[in-house]
Amino acid sequence: MKTIALYSIKGGVGKTASAVNLAYLSSLGEPPTLICDLDPQGASSFYFRIVPNKKYSSRKFLKGNKKIYDNIKGTDYENLDLLPSDFSYRNLDIELLEEKKPQKKLRKNIQELSTEYPFIFFDCPPNLTLLSESVFVASDIVLVPLIPTTLSLRTFDQLVGFFKESRLDTSKIRGFFTMYERRKAMHREIIEEYSGKKRFLKRIIPYNSEVEKMGIYRAPLNAVRPHAPASMAYQELWEELRGEIKQ
Amino acid sequence: MRTIPGPLFFRLSDALDLPVFFKGMEKSFTFQAQPVRKETLDWFDTFDWKAWSRKSAIVRSGSRLAILDMKSGHELCGAPVRKRPRSFFPNDIDDKKTASRLLGISKLRAFILYGSVETETRKWRILDENRKTVASIELLSLPGKKDGKRQLFMKLSPVRGYGKELETVAGHLKQYPDHSEKITCLDYHKEILTAAGITPASYSSKPSVKLKPGDTIQDSARKLLLPTLGVLYANEKWISKNIDTEFLHDYRVAVRRTRSILAQLKGIFPPEELSRYKKVFRELGKRTGNLRDLDVYLLQADRFRNLLPGTMRDSLDTFFTDLGNRHKKELKSLNRYLGSEKHTRLMREWEAFLRSEMPSDPDITPKAGTKTSDVAVSTIRKAWKKVIRHGREISGTATDTERHTMRIECKKLRYLLEFYASILPAKNLQTVVRQLKTLQDNLGTFVDLSVQQGYLNNYLSRLEPGADNISSAASIGGLVTALYHERENVRMNFHNTFDTFDTPETEALFNELLNKHR
Ligand SMILES: Nc1ncnc2c1ncn2[C@@H]1O[C@H](COP(=O)(O)OP(=O)(O)OP(=O)(O)O)[C@@H](O)[C@H]1O
Ligand SMILES: [Mg+2]
Repeated sequence: MKTIALYSIKGGVGKTASAVNLAYLSSLGEPPTLICDLDPQGASSFYFRIVPNKKYSSRKFLKGNKKIYDNIKGTDYENLDLLPSDFSYRNLDIELLEEKKPQKKLRKNIQELSTEYPFIFFDCPPNLTLLSESVFVASDIVLVPLIPTTLSLRTFDQLVGFFKESRLDTSKIRGFFTMYERRKAMHREIIEEYSGKKRFLKRIIPYNSEVEKMGIYRAPLNAVRPHAPASMAYQELWEELRGEIKQ
Repeated sequence: MRTIPGPLFFRLSDALDLPVFFKGMEKSFTFQAQPVRKETLDWFDTFDWKAWSRKSAIVRSGSRLAILDMKSGHELCGAPVRKRPRSFFPNDIDDKKTASRLLGISKLRAFILYGSVETETRKWRILDENRKTVASIELLSLPGKKDGKRQLFMKLSPVRGYGKELETVAGHLKQYPDHSEKITCLDYHKEILTAAGITPASYSSKPSVKLKPGDTIQDSARKLLLPTLGVLYANEKWISKNIDTEFLHDYRVAVRRTRSILAQLKGIFPPEELSRYKKVFRELGKRTGNLRDLDVYLLQADRFRNLLPGTMRDSLDTFFTDLGNRHKKELKSLNRYLGSEKHTRLMREWEAFLRSEMPSDPDITPKAGTKTSDVAVSTIRKAWKKVIRHGREISGTATDTERHTMRIECKKLRYLLEFYASILPAKNLQTVVRQLKTLQDNLGTFVDLSVQQGYLNNYLSRLEPGADNISSAASIGGLVTALYHERENVRMNFHNTFDTFDTPETEALFNELLNKHR
């Protein structure tokens, strides 16, 4: 089992869009795939039209394995399942504090799922919190979408710094650029300098208004518009990532 | 971990009006029709129904071959296929996972197209208020049995995490008990099989025969020989199709078993007939021998190649092409014989003879009335003693012929144990057979390796001298050397293997086995 977290300290950078599309692509090639929505806003659950069971809550999530297992739902795509988030997830940070080893909690909680899913994706909420730390430990890859701006790069450096301070494995971190607009000089310059460098993937996701329409389609863009520029870019990004994982 | 519920199946009478049925359901669901799917399903299995026996379905539809678990309905794996094969081997399939699953079902046998069925499937997605798919309904229609009316089945597939929704739909169906009957997934697949005209049978190259210790040996011998003839009949027509090597193999086993029973029947069957049929089956053994040898070489092609360093492998190609050509010739001549009027007549006469009343004239068949158990005990004891005596005499330098003889004696003992299995204590028998099998494996491998070396040497000596054949000769030489080393290892192992067979414990087991009828 490989676990991939879509994570960024910054909000609105394309974590959810990327998690949904990459997980969908993974479910085609390496079935079955699970996507865990960890954001109380439940954006990825929304994209799949899934609402959690009435009795599901952050407490259940923290109980782990069986409770998680029972609340997994099938998406409309044969080999793609989703664990929806609940609004109560907003309390996860406080609730994690009560746990003995909060950083290791998530890893332990999903252990039993490893036999069933070759790939598990986490769609994380923004900010750097105790939950994020738990995600870092549980993930094999921490995949960070960056809009090509200096500010994004700064927060990316902050993340690497945090990993070092906390003695986490910095080799898990992988950045990639998204919402790239060629007409913007700053975008071009940053891409030029960073793309394919240490900790950065080569493939870039362009800015593509089709992505925004995912809220209307309520489906992965790769499933409904596989030839949209962003879909094709996600396809290539996934292949690049698969190649790295295989090595 | 909990398993996810599988689909539910129903048999429908066509009277069920589906649009009306759907209207009667809970408001919050909508039904989204999918395009109608018409497809021809081709069903495959090995000749000995290996897939059926583990309730796996091997089905081709369009350009895809899938293996399904008939009990759960889950697809275990799938692979693309070209054209519409009439039969195929696991290694013909491109997808690794599927190929290895097929190999798990049968190593040597081909998968044969057993039947086809035209299906028509209508599918609806059931959506909740968010337009999320919570289940799906498929209506499968199959060609009717006799009256031409198509049969209707419903498959209700759950989506994980939406068990309640599925129950609602299934519960709704319960309101129409006259129109729908719940059936199991296996039954559902059986219906499709039936519609494809397939009736899975059982086939065994060693039919088990229930003997009674007190019956006369003449009756018991006939009871054993008739099903063995059945095996001959079953395989005969398939040999010519050259689909896999096991038809001939099973055929030869049945011939040998027949011969080894006949060898015990002095004074039990009339001497004239006995000697006549002994000849008939010796002849059959001879006529099938060459083809079987060629089969074995061809089956081993990959192993032979891998025994050589990479650079020398290609030079074996001519050798194998040559084998292939000889195989064609041998097959042709065997087919001619098996299809001949003479052979057909002989087999019919043999059958008639086995079914006829036999003379109970003490002058012709003085031992016909002996109790089966008595014959079992004395023949098994004799055969076993022979194996032991011979095994002890075999030295490290024993000739190939001596080992060959020993191998045949072991085979005889094995057949006897199998013939009389139904009147021997099962547990002892199992242990004894297991030990005997290890010994047989050793001897079998040894003899095979010897025969193969002999064949290769012979081939080598007939190669035209000249530059063209240098690389071929080198490769064959390399192969002989490799096989020689393998054989010497097997030779050294013989004594260990025999020593574990020739023990007081095994002797005790044999005595116990045979004393049951003392
Ligand atoms: N490549 C793209 N081109 C155009 N718009 C995009 C692209 N990727 C994402 N967007 C849009 O940007 C917005 C934010 O994206 P998304 O929700 O995926 O980010 P996020 O990092 O998950 O946000 P949050 O931090 O709120 O969870 C969305 O409206 C989305 O449709
Ligand atoms: Mg998000």
